[in-house]
Amino acid sequence: MTDPLETLAQHVAERVLDLIVNALDVNALVRHLDVNALVGRVDVNALMRQVDVNALLDRVDVPALLGRADVNALLDRVDVGALLSRVDVNDLVSRVDMDTLVEQTDLGAVIAKSSGGAATEALDAARSQAVGLDQFIDRWAQRALRRRHQAPAGPPALLNGQAES
Amino acid sequence: MSAGTHADRSVTAQGHYAGSVSRFLAYAIDITSSSAVFGLALAAISYVAKVVTGHEVSWNRGNVVVAAVFVAWEFLYFGYSWAASGKTFGMAVLGIRVVMADGSPVEPRRGVLRALVFPLSFLLFGLGFLGILVQRERRALHDLIACTAVIYAWDARAARLRFLARAASPGTGGDRAP
Repeated sequence: MTDPLETLAQHVAERVLDLIVNALDVNALVRHLDVNALVGRVDVNALMRQVDVNALLDRVDVPALLGRADVNALLDRVDVGALLSRVDVNDLVSRVDMDTLVEQTDLGAVIAKSSGGAATEALDAARSQAVGLDQFIDRWAQRALRRRHQAPAGPPALLNGQAES
Repeated sequence: MSAGTHADRSVTAQGHYAGSVSRFLAYAIDITSSSAVFGLALAAISYVAKVVTGHEVSWNRGNVVVAAVFVAWEFLYFGYSWAASGKTFGMAVLGIRVVMADGSPVEPRRGVLRALVFPLSFLLFGLGFLGILVQRERRALHDLIACTAVIYAWDARAARLRFLARAASPGTGGDRAP
C-alpha cells in the first residue's frame, strides 16, 4: 500500500523542485550576495594547511608546462640593460676567487704560456726572495732594538689605499 | 718556506717600505750597470780618438777629469732616474721605487736633491745607510733629507698568478717559481 503513495510523493517532490528551480533567478540571487563578506569569513590559512602542496606539485608535469611557455617571447620582454645596470659588476668580480680560477681552469695554462718566460720567472723569484730576506733582517733588527711598538709598514697614503681596496 | 708562501708574502708587502737586501741589490746592479756603460763610453771615445788622431788614448783611474766625469755621470744616472720615474734600472729589476715620505709620487726636484745628498750617506763608514735598518720607516740619511722613502712597487699579484699558472700547468716550470 505504501509503495504507490511513496512513488507519487517522490514525483510530486521532484515536480515541485523543478518548478522552484525554474522560478529562481540565480543571477539575481548572486547579485544579492555579499561575496567579499563571504570570502572574508573563509580562513584561507586553515584551508591552505589542509592542502598537501608537495603532492600538488608532484602532479604538475613541469617539462610539459615549460614546453607550453614561449621562453623567447618572455626574454624579449626582459630589459637586459636595466637588469645589468642593477648588477654591481665590481662586487661580483671581487667575489671571484682568482687563485682557484687559475688553478682549476685552462686560464692558468694561458697565463703560463703568455707570460711564463724564463726571465720573468727568474725576476719573480729574485724579487720574492729579496722580500723574504728583507723581512728576515728586519725582524732581527726590531728584536735587537727591542722595539715595543710596531713600526708602520708603509707610507700612510699607500696603506690607506690598500685598506680601501 | 714554500714557493706559494713566498708569493703570498710578496703580494702583501706591496706598498710597504723596502728593506735593506732589496735596496742593496738594486744599488749593486745600478753601480755595475752605470759603471759598465761609463766604461763602454770611454772605450768608444778611445776608439774614435785613435781612428781620428792615430794615437792611442788610455784612461787612467787617477785622472781627475775622468773621475769628475764619472761622478757627474753617476749623478746624472741616479738623479735623472729618480726625478723622471722614481726608480733606477736596478730598482726596476728589484721592483722597488722612490716615493715621497707620505707615499705620493716623488717630485722631480726631490729626486734630484736625493741624488745630490746621496753621497752623504757614505760618510762616516756608511752610517747614513743605517737608517734602512734602524729607522722606523727604513729611511736612510738621504731619504730623510730629501723627504723620500723607498717602497716595494712591483706587480706581485700578477707574479703570484704566474706562479699558480705554472704550478697548475705541467711542463711549464712547476715548482721553480718564487
